Amino acid sequence: MAVKETHGVRFEQICKSFGEVKALRPLNLEIKPGEFLTLLGPSGSGKTTLLNIVAGFLDPDDGRLILGGQDVTALPPRARNIGMVFQNYALFPHMSVAENVAYGLKVRGVKGMALQRQVNEALEMVQLGGYGERAIDQLSGGQQQRVALARAMVIEPDLLLMDEPLGALDRQLRKHVQLEIRRLHTKSPRTTIYVTHDQEEALVMSDRVAIMRNGRIVQIGTPGELYEKPDSAYIARFLGESNLLPVKVLGVEKDRIAYSIRGYEGTFSTPAKGQAENTPGEAQLLIRPEALRVSQTDGNSLRVVVEEVVYLGELTATKLRFADGQEGWLRAMKSPAHQPGAVIRVTWAPEDTRLLPAKD
Amino acid sequence: MRRFKPSSQALTQIAGAVVLAFLVMPIFAVVPASFNQASFIKIPPEELSLQWYSAFIEDRGWMSSLFNSIRVALLTTAIALVIGTLAALGVERLPKRMRPFVIGAVLSPLIVPVIMISIALYYVTRSIGLYGTVTGLALSHALICVPFVLLNVSVSLQRLDPNLARAASGLGARPGYVFRTVTLPAIWPGVASGGAFAFVLSFDEVVISLFIAGYGAKTLPVKLWEQIRVEFTPVAAVGSTLILTFTVVLFILTRLSARKRNSAAEGSQ
Amino acid sequence: MTRVETTHAWRGHDQRLGRAAMTFLLFLPALIFLAVWFVWPLGQLILLSFQGEDGAFAAYQEILTSEVFRIVFFNTLKLAVLVTIICTILAYPAAWLLTRVKGFWFSIALYCILVPFWISILVRTFSWMLLLERSGPVNNFLITLGVTDQPLKLLFNDLGVYIGMVHVLLPYAVLPIYSSMLKIDQRLLLASDSLGASGRTTFFKIFLPLTLPGVTAGATFVFLLALGFYITPALLGGPHNLTAAMLIDSFVNERLVWPLAAAASVILLVIVLVVLAVTSRFVSLGSSVVVK
Repeated sequence: MAVKETHGVRFEQICKSFGEVKALRPLNLEIKPGEFLTLLGPSGSGKTTLLNIVAGFLDPDDGRLILGGQDVTALPPRARNIGMVFQNYALFPHMSVAENVAYGLKVRGVKGMALQRQVNEALEMVQLGGYGERAIDQLSGGQQQRVALARAMVIEPDLLLMDEPLGALDRQLRKHVQLEIRRLHTKSPRTTIYVTHDQEEALVMSDRVAIMRNGRIVQIGTPGELYEKPDSAYIARFLGESNLLPVKVLGVEKDRIAYSIRGYEGTFSTPAKGQAENTPGEAQLLIRPEALRVSQTDGNSLRVVVEEVVYLGELTATKLRFADGQEGWLRAMKSPAHQPGAVIRVTWAPEDTRLLPAKD
Repeated sequence: MRRFKPSSQALTQIAGAVVLAFLVMPIFAVVPASFNQASFIKIPPEELSLQWYSAFIEDRGWMSSLFNSIRVALLTTAIALVIGTLAALGVERLPKRMRPFVIGAVLSPLIVPVIMISIALYYVTRSIGLYGTVTGLALSHALICVPFVLLNVSVSLQRLDPNLARAASGLGARPGYVFRTVTLPAIWPGVASGGAFAFVLSFDEVVISLFIAGYGAKTLPVKLWEQIRVEFTPVAAVGSTLILTFTVVLFILTRLSARKRNSAAEGSQ
Repeated sequence: MTRVETTHAWRGHDQRLGRAAMTFLLFLPALIFLAVWFVWPLGQLILLSFQGEDGAFAAYQEILTSEVFRIVFFNTLKLAVLVTIICTILAYPAAWLLTRVKGFWFSIALYCILVPFWISILVRTFSWMLLLERSGPVNNFLITLGVTDQPLKLLFNDLGVYIGMVHVLLPYAVLPIYSSMLKIDQRLLLASDSLGASGRTTFFKIFLPLTLPGVTAGATFVFLLALGFYITPALLGGPHNLTAAMLIDSFVNERLVWPLAAAASVILLVIVLVVLAVTSRFVSLGSSVVVK
């Protein structure tokens, strides 16, 4: 398929309440043409509401939705040229696979050979060539998912929406389809908003991820930015494993922040640039499990007790207990096997740590 | 499982079976009676024959009442389907707390004694010239058929995935096209069984028909009623058997379509 | 920005209005139909009941004071009550049987209930006329058994009316009772067993009370239908088995006294509404009506 010029999306002050419940607080967001953006958050965080507003199934209480430079807030769903993949696929049960895929084309007046050709191409694209005459209930869950994808893509939408499209698939299949969707997106980049509550899915597939909580976007960035530079302990915990230690920020000297760790003597420091927290007082220190190393010397290190060693194949995870009773993990390719109960010292590179606000 | 005493369990089951037998047994009295050879009714018949069926076919009164019944039932079904299906679609759009009131209003003709509805309609149809017409009778039958169409279609609508219509409109279809291509095919089983209900109810109906049908729209049940008030003839048994056959055939068709619908629903899960 | 907001407020308002208008349009045929073919005729009839020659309430007065009409109304009520009691008692074991059998036998048992439901009341009544005749199969059977040597009079009297009406109305009692039995949590019965209760105690203290909503709903349906019954008593009963519906018919078709017919049917409707109001306080009839 030829790469089509695709549209960006802009949300301006979009908000929505259901009675007393504020599902979306005034929200601004810009999605670049061809970008794959994931809305990630727990259920009830507003991501599905936002998706429904984009699709036109819900009216925002206020705000504007700009699609490709045009205000589409007032347009009904049928006039927006948006493709949508639903969580339960919402395939028309009384139509064959080909009829499902052809539906949006027929509405657009495509007929005869052109219709057949485009439907076949779309089915080939999702590797379902030759399945056109099948009934929907003869397909497996993964195949139904791909039909839904073909049906949404065949209309060449300006924007593709996916609402937890892999939620109903088993883990094995989910991984496969994730990569498949990613492949299709790389092949012909199309502005996509993807909703999920699965952090791994978000990290694997997206150009950028917006993390939602209580009707707000709390942080947005590339998967790497979010993983390495989360703004809060909430996000750190949401994406990946994390060691969070209670610390006290002592002050900023030159371009370094000094802090002490509860339960340990001495002061530590980290580069001040780009930290989420730098005001003196209570804070949390984030060290990812893979940033911790076993140390042979005393400098810049903490005494911990080994609680448990878990072999994960190529990796070994060691469960640690810090001096104030806090639990944590160390993960390494080859870590020397320690006996539970052993006392070891762990260290890290100062630039691999991040200071976060004490409160979530 | 011990639960209730085995002896009382067995007794209850036997009692239940006797009650069920009581329910079905008499229904089939008219069928053998209709194949009687003698000119008076005898059950079981001593010799079988189809002569009363040919008598039925040759009798202009019986045949015209049969055709009237079919005409009235078809028109009733059409009226009830349109009104009931549209109302069911309307109910689906109402807020949940308002639904019982609206459904109650549509169902209220079922609460009023049929005799009262009959004389009320008798009174007004005469004044507006619809007495003794197929139209007048069909409208009257529709009054008791609309509620059943509404209930059947509502059940289908509640099973309908709201995302189907959303998917269709997201693909660019206008509301009318969405209804025709997605909603209607999906609720079709409910519409069909509602229609079967309406047809059977109208085809079987006696009391309203007795008052409204007059001479011009005399239906098979009315003809049958008039006949058996005078005497039991084998031709009356033929008329009864025909009513019974229509009903049973439609009953079997709806059960079959319900079974198909259920297995389709299971398949898509 | 302010300008944009106002246009949006308008748009939302507009769409909601369009949606409401569409919903209203969907109800419009039903609304017109019920108004013209239900509310208007009933209204006319009610008006008619107040148009006696001797003042507005003359018709009611005549019905309520006349000995004959009182007897007919009393007979109708008695018939309805007795038929309701008999139907409920017979329906209970039948419903229980439905919960006990599985597979093929369940289908057979269920169709025994559903098929009669669908079949014309007139045909069913006619069947009983053939069966209960002097020389009919029931009498033949009784004579063969030696129960009697003379054919019994089973038709055109109370017995015929009761047999016919119970038969016609029984399914209305079975289905609600059956659905209430289905809803019972089997663990409650096991709990009662395990606490040492006898089968009799479990039945009367647990099982029966839990099925009471179904029994009430079924009894209400049977009672209300029996109250206005016309076909079956008219065909199976004798001259003494006059019911309110037959009385109304004779007012209209034989005596041509419309105000009396109207007043009698209004009285019937009032009784129906009172019974409904009372029972709907105890049980949700709406949920049972869907059974059919």
